[in-house]
Amino acid sequence: MDASLNNRTGAVAFFYWVWDGIDRTIFTAIKFSFPARFVSPFGFLGMLTFVVFVILGISGALLMFYYQPILDRAWDSVQFINDEVPFGFHIRNIHYHGSNAMVLLAVLHMYYQYFSGRYKIRNEILWVTGVILGVVTILEAFTGYDVIFSERAELAISIAASLTNSMPVIGPVVRDAMFGNGFSDFVLRFYAQHVFLLPLVMLGLMAVHFPRFLVFDVPMVMAISGAILITGGVFPIDLGFKFDPNVPPGITVPEWYLTGIYAFMRTQYDKFVTGLAWPLIFIIALILTPFLDRYKKFSWRDRPIMTAFGITGIAQVMVTTYWGFYISPDTTIPLVQRLVIDPVFLYSTMLLLVPVGFGFSYMMIKMSKEAERRAKLAKANGPKKVATINLSEKWLNWVIVALIAFQVFLNIAAYNAALTGMNNLSLFFVGLVLIVFASLFHVYRYAMAKAKEAPPPPPPPPQEPASQELPAAAPPAEQPALAAPPVAAPPAAAPATAAAPPPASAAPATSASSAPASAPPATSASAPPGPEKP
Amino acid sequence: MAKQGSAAGSLSRRDFLKLMGAAGTGLAFAPFVPWGNFMPNPRGALLEKVPVELPEGSQANVHTFPTNFAEVITYPKTGDRVLDGEAFRKWQFIRLPEEMGGSANDPTAFRAYSMVCLHLWCLWSYVSAEGRKRGECPCHGSMYDPVTGQAVQGPASVQAEPSNVLPQLLFEVDSDGYVWILPPTWSPRENGVIGYGRFLK
Repeated sequence: MDASLNNRTGAVAFFYWVWDGIDRTIFTAIKFSFPARFVSPFGFLGMLTFVVFVILGISGALLMFYYQPILDRAWDSVQFINDEVPFGFHIRNIHYHGSNAMVLLAVLHMYYQYFSGRYKIRNEILWVTGVILGVVTILEAFTGYDVIFSERAELAISIAASLTNSMPVIGPVVRDAMFGNGFSDFVLRFYAQHVFLLPLVMLGLMAVHFPRFLVFDVPMVMAISGAILITGGVFPIDLGFKFDPNVPPGITVPEWYLTGIYAFMRTQYDKFVTGLAWPLIFIIALILTPFLDRYKKFSWRDRPIMTAFGITGIAQVMVTTYWGFYISPDTTIPLVQRLVIDPVFLYSTMLLLVPVGFGFSYMMIKMSKEAERRAKLAKANGPKKVATINLSEKWLNWVIVALIAFQVFLNIAAYNAALTGMNNLSLFFVGLVLIVFASLFHVYRYAMAKAKEAPPPPPPPPQEPASQELPAAAPPAEQPALAAPPVAAPPAAAPATAAAPPPASAAPATSASSAPASAPPATSASAPPGPEKP
Repeated sequence: MAKQGSAAGSLSRRDFLKLMGAAGTGLAFAPFVPWGNFMPNPRGALLEKVPVELPEGSQANVHTFPTNFAEVITYPKTGDRVLDGEAFRKWQFIRLPEEMGGSANDPTAFRAYSMVCLHLWCLWSYVSAEGRKRGECPCHGSMYDPVTGQAVQGPASVQAEPSNVLPQLLFEVDSDGYVWILPPTWSPRENGVIGYGRFLK
């Protein structure tokens, strides 16, 4: 057996042959890393967005088998998918909630990059393509919920078409060219853009937008996928009413990522200004951000003006997003009056949010710097005590077995629920399966990291003076027993800034060795490239 | 230094001239190739003079069509059930009441406005009852003046022009009194754009 493996015969040889061939493709230019421990998802929100994009591609392709982009059949075909196609309900809900998740993740991704200043250091191209990609993502999501051609979709198409029409000079021509003439064309052309043109544009932009280093964190990907399914199970999306031009439409609002623009449009000012010019200014401001930001530092604390603009923007987006949803519940007022937002009120609120945003940023920066100062003081005073969960090998095994058993149970429960017609319950269970898989994977990699650790060396004599090495050079010294409070007096606060390279001279061995132990083992910290995934 | 850099990285004069020649040739011919004509649906721009065909199948005639009365007509017709059924091809063919000039036996007595309400694309229709005599939208109460097609009340009336005037069709009446639709131009300054509006002249 050993010999055959070493000689690489049969399927193994074929696998290695493929693996070596991949070396010649683009994929090895991308550095995939599979973290061996928990890492904050903020750093790889873009990767999560891409994963959701793939989920949307697959579920969307499945929906294409049944959806009919024909004026009098679109809504009925979606109803057929939802009610009669086996697992059609699941696919449709995954697709719908996946689209929301993708927009949300993209927005979070953008703001994380904004506040961490990562668009600098020659990342400007990544930033600019990212902003454009985000806009196209929203257009993609928008065209998606229009092709159902429910009452709400028709209103959305109507607004989109009238916005396009309102462009000076070229408006009607562009509308005719892009959306066609009449509902029949609208449905078909929105569909063509939704399933082909915009995804194609997105793939092209992604090819530019992908950074060279990618983090593929399996548990987090699974957890996000599970969250999408669970949301679909708890809040299954309805069909809305089939559009009938003779029936007055009920009150509808667009999807949450467009209610901000909708709030401005509801002021009944010129459509072009409120619906196109304002969003365009916002997008252009975002695109120009890396070129306007002249700070030399990255952290949001060190870039007060940029932080203040970002906070103000978020505040305005949140307020208008809520405002766009809000419609006075007083039904004695005529509908149109309930829909109209007083422009003076709206715009003065927007202006008011500017000083509020700046003040809030100022306060946050002050508090953050103070917290940083205190943390440094505390660090100088002694080792940070981090509560860790340390499971023995036996218990790790039991946890893994229990999680697998739970997954089996959930699988059966999900299938049973689907068989008995409880579609949303089964979707919920499948989401739970994914989340349990995420935790299983996390416990597994934790166990693998533990197994790789060298067996703990015998405890050194407690009062031996420290040998003053670099912290990274002392990985095997993880000794929870030694995490005793330091005996020596705290050194002065002043040298605390020189944290890592020369530690405070008089620190005893315990504090020096437990500092790296508070972080997980060094094997995981170095994050080996791992098997690169094609 | 600067001279060196520019000599290394930039085009030679000959290459530049070649490039300009190629670009100029392309640009010279580009306007004469109607590439963009692929995009607008040719069925939506069917520019033909056709009879006003009433729902029962006959052609409208100035001698028989009653005043203060409206019918739904389909224009342009395709013969396809789904396409002909859609709101963007539906027009209110109105003969004005007498006091608005509906008794004349010529095209001035007739109006045809797109039924797609300019507010949110419901289907409005003409109400002939005494004291109303106007186009009314059932959805949010936009009211249209039958003489001009302008919205006079409701949400459509507060929209900026051209989104407050309905698109219209123009007519011709032959010697036998039959009414014909003249080929329209779908532009805000001419017949208007359905679902968008028209500039009042």
